[in-house]
Amino acid sequence: MAKLILMCLKFMVLCSTVEAVFEDQVGKFDWRQQYVGKVRFSHFDTHLQSSKKVLLATENNVFASLNTRTGELLWRHVDKIGPEGNIDALLQHGQDALLVVGDGRLLRSWEINVGGLNWEIVLDSGSFQSACLIGQQDIVKHVAVLKKTVISLHYLSNGHQKWIENLPESDTVDYQAVYSGGNGDVYALGVVPHSHIAIVVYSLEDGEIIKQISVEAPWLSNIQASCAVIGQGMLTCVDSATVSLYMLDLDAQSEMTQIPLQSLGLDVTPGFQPVLVSTQPNPAQPPLSEFFLQLGPEHHLLLQLNDGQIVTLRDFKPAMLVSFATTGEKTVAAVMSPKNMTACTINLFSAESGRRLLDTTLIFNMDPNVGKPEKLYVQAFLKKDDSVGYRVMVQTEDHTLTFIQQPGRVMWTREEALSDVVTMEMVDLPLTGTQAELEGEFGKKAAIQDGLFSMVLKRLSSQLILLQAWIGHLWKLFYDARKPRSQVKNDVTIENLSRDEFNLQKMMVMVTASGKLFGIDSKTGSILWRHYLENIPSNAAFKLMVQRNTAHFPHPPQCTLLIKDKDTGLATLHVFNPIFGKKSHITPPAMPQPILQSLMLPVMDQDYAKVLLLVDDQYKVSAFPSTKNVLQQLQEMASSIFFYLVDSSQGRLSGYRLRTDLSTELIWEVVVPTEVQRIVSVKGKRPNEHVHSQGRVMGDRSVLYKYLNPNLLAVVTESTDLHQERSFVGILLIDGVTGRIIHEAVQRKAKGPVHVVHSENWVVYEYWSTKSRRNEFSVIELYEGMELYNSTVFSSLDRPHAPQVLQQSYIFPSSISTMEATLTEKGITSRHLLIGLPSGGILSLPKMFLDPRRPEIVTEQSREENLIPYAPELLIRSEWFINYNQTVTRVRGIYTAPSGLESTCLVVAYGLDIYQTRVYPSKQFDVLKDDYDYMLISSVLFALFFATMISKRLAEVKLLNRAWR
Amino acid sequence: MLHIERIPLLWVFFQAAVVVTWCFTDLETGPGAGVSVTQPNGDRFKIEGRAVVPGVKTQDWVSTARIFVEGEEYVGFVRTDGSFAVNDVPSGSYVVEVITPNYRFEPVRVDITSKGKMRARLVNFIKTSEVIRQPYPLQIRANGPQTYFMKRETWGWTDFLMNPMVMMMVLPLLIIVLLPKVVNTNDPEMRKEMEQSMNMLNPNPELPDVSELMTKLFSGSKGSSKAGSSSKGTRPAVKRR
Repeated sequence: MAKLILMCLKFMVLCSTVEAVFEDQVGKFDWRQQYVGKVRFSHFDTHLQSSKKVLLATENNVFASLNTRTGELLWRHVDKIGPEGNIDALLQHGQDALLVVGDGRLLRSWEINVGGLNWEIVLDSGSFQSACLIGQQDIVKHVAVLKKTVISLHYLSNGHQKWIENLPESDTVDYQAVYSGGNGDVYALGVVPHSHIAIVVYSLEDGEIIKQISVEAPWLSNIQASCAVIGQGMLTCVDSATVSLYMLDLDAQSEMTQIPLQSLGLDVTPGFQPVLVSTQPNPAQPPLSEFFLQLGPEHHLLLQLNDGQIVTLRDFKPAMLVSFATTGEKTVAAVMSPKNMTACTINLFSAESGRRLLDTTLIFNMDPNVGKPEKLYVQAFLKKDDSVGYRVMVQTEDHTLTFIQQPGRVMWTREEALSDVVTMEMVDLPLTGTQAELEGEFGKKAAIQDGLFSMVLKRLSSQLILLQAWIGHLWKLFYDARKPRSQVKNDVTIENLSRDEFNLQKMMVMVTASGKLFGIDSKTGSILWRHYLENIPSNAAFKLMVQRNTAHFPHPPQCTLLIKDKDTGLATLHVFNPIFGKKSHITPPAMPQPILQSLMLPVMDQDYAKVLLLVDDQYKVSAFPSTKNVLQQLQEMASSIFFYLVDSSQGRLSGYRLRTDLSTELIWEVVVPTEVQRIVSVKGKRPNEHVHSQGRVMGDRSVLYKYLNPNLLAVVTESTDLHQERSFVGILLIDGVTGRIIHEAVQRKAKGPVHVVHSENWVVYEYWSTKSRRNEFSVIELYEGMELYNSTVFSSLDRPHAPQVLQQSYIFPSSISTMEATLTEKGITSRHLLIGLPSGGILSLPKMFLDPRRPEIVTEQSREENLIPYAPELLIRSEWFINYNQTVTRVRGIYTAPSGLESTCLVVAYGLDIYQTRVYPSKQFDVLKDDYDYMLISSVLFALFFATMISKRLAEVKLLNRAWR
Repeated sequence: MLHIERIPLLWVFFQAAVVVTWCFTDLETGPGAGVSVTQPNGDRFKIEGRAVVPGVKTQDWVSTARIFVEGEEYVGFVRTDGSFAVNDVPSGSYVVEVITPNYRFEPVRVDITSKGKMRARLVNFIKTSEVIRQPYPLQIRANGPQTYFMKRETWGWTDFLMNPMVMMMVLPLLIIVLLPKVVNTNDPEMRKEMEQSMNMLNPNPELPDVSELMTKLFSGSKGSSKAGSSSKGTRPAVKRR
């Protein structure tokens, strides 16, 4: 009984020693940025004149509302990833926003002020085509949803279905659009490609078919791409083959009238599909009779339909983007036209007359490192003098949103490319001149060359430099203190970037799926540089490598990004400076062959750049940089350079050795039969990882040595049979040099997704147990035993004894999204696992809890070793969340980097959001904690000092008294 | 030790009782531990419920809330009145969670049979087949705000005084200073009385050392009285001030 109590006590003590965040640390060294993704639909909230909201529906299945003054999120709703959460349409009516989600599966209505759901209904199956609000007599009460085979009408107030009707001849007719002009009729427009248009008119009240007409249109294949309804129900289409406009009155006519564009004096750019843009400001009223016709990539026309005649109001050439906007009763057209290479102008024109409105010019400056403008969203408002003012939101190719006010003031920009970070690295900041000087003093070369005297001089001069810097700092402080607080700017710019004394501030180089690269200051989160790479294939895989860090001063740091097209395997290299983001002048080698593998060698060329080896599909190796020096070094080292290739489609792992002529030879091959299981992931160890202690001290004072094989690979396989009784997850530990299988474990009745962390002498993996329907963790640790075979160096080729393998499994009460281990400078600090949960929390779980030596029965020895008794369930304590309520939605990766302090590990979690913080797995043992009580220690010192003074005085008095006696 | 052995027995009884009640209340067994195969074209069902954060208006928290069914497998949103529904869920057994960054909700396991019968029970990952029924449609109450932060150790006088080291120092000091004043050890009658009481306490004749110890103690106390007198020496000085 006593033992049990002791055990419990110990457990509690251990638990309480685990770090957590203190409330006053909030925002001190951590920051979060929230994103929504590439915008697909956007609506400005116009139902109130003073509203400052913009609704965004994005390709990342996010529906959000932004504050237009600041660009910050008011609220955000993140749906499922994939087609089931895909947002098909966004309609706004008053305070409600309607979303059609998941290819027409769900219809949702949101309250946009609070951000709460009004209602959600399931629609009948069928692929979604179009949706529109239906009004009658100026009141909008319904929404119509058109699907492949049915059309349904729903009440806006509660989503209930008013009626649902099958579309006639839906097997031949492709219904694509739904339209209502506010007169109580609902038009479903369909097309039989290259034959005719089918128009079905339904009654709003009961869904009865009022009219059904079919109109010959052998030139038409897609209504949505080439048609629009203009004015009083005039369906207008444009055809590039006959270079004509076709018009049809939906109510009266049964044949289309052809208007050749030449009769209007217009000409289409060859090879361009003309586009019609109309606007319907109020769904209860027919669309305006003015519309845009785009005839070329930079040629737009504002046309008007006047008594069946088309009148050209204005010709815009060049004009890149056009957009309509309505405020009150006024509708305006905004036109963006290029001004010069780096700027565009936006002007407002009256939609009715085509006249330019005075004082509405707005200048949009284009950064050369940013893509071209793609979409224009205009927020128009009435000024006090009843003239129209406006602000615009410009969306560029690189998914950036820029919100601009007249006459060109950028109110905010949002880098939505950061919602899709693929990979990242953290690079040390460069030393300042003074720091470099100080470092240079201790350089080895200097010490040998110089005599004692010059050394002393150097020392003195460096001290002087330090003093100078300190005085300069003090002066700046003093100078800033006199200024009002608002004027003091502590903006970090590239110019004043320098390493801090503990190397806690670094440059985060982030690569996004859209091909935009970012350099972010890790301390503040401000974006210091951005670079948009054009012509990135949509399915590209990226690998970012640091070839030269900032430690080699005259040489600039250098990063290399390998961009590989997943289909063809062809790759390109982008070489750049990670601190400034500038493309390097070094020309990367051309790679005509598909690339199979890339590996970074610890070998450096004479300019201190690490050598990157690229293996192509002919198993030929090329080096970058490939100077003579490098090739010579490679020839010398060739016999000790090994690499492996994974072919998951054939289930083959193969190991190769480099020959001196840079060809390769196959030395081993492991085949995993693809009929039974497939390779899911292969994880090696991180090359920059340090292990401080070679072994663990046991309770009886003997040492259990760790099996620290740097070439070990953890290969995870999943069964192809997904039946829950027969599915399994396998893990293979393979030596990457010899191909020797060190260990093999199989988890029966388990399935993926499997998340793996491989570090030191352990592998932790997580899987779904189909038998018990829960997530489980398993840990494998490898030990050499009580004796070390060769304590000086580890060689895969000379290790005769197989390691001892220990394994234990635990229940984890949540599914996980991603997993990574903390990393510190020297590896002395205990390790934690950082687990990204779907809820957005990032859990810091001590590795101590995942230790296969946790005993079931507590003994004296295990207590001596501080082993926690085995418990099947791992707990999630909310104090262990390192990001408290700053959740990281859809966390996809966690990046850890060591800092200059052994106790501190820098952590970046990225997904839809980006969160940066520091963790202290063994608390801050090497610096004073930030709650260190300076007051107490100084008051105690002073009290003691005064006490001695007083007592001294008293003693003197006493002695004097005694002498008198 | 006897009652400790009884605890497992009691536990077995309790479990048996639970199982029995379950058998009585729920004849329809539902999808047991092994049945969660999802037919690709099977029926889809709706999980409904209501989430409540006591003392907080719904509009203050619904915009940050989501309903997770088995992780992010199925996602639902909370209506402005706190109720929620997750559509399109096939039959099976799922853990339903209300996810908000600021409030803590207990997860609930919901079983859906292939016919669409629903039942909710407490989540137990260790004994997965144990059934403790919960109401369905779900009623999930937040059990308070999330506690993400540790409390700073603040320094107080009580902490200092209650420190065992300080206690060990202060208490003997008090005894040394005060005891000689309370008990006049020079009085022979008193001394005899104390000795007697000591003997009463230790009737064992095998321990003759006690008297020795006593004398030592008293001589010690004399020493301490000396110390007391020395401390008296400082006292006038204090008075002077």
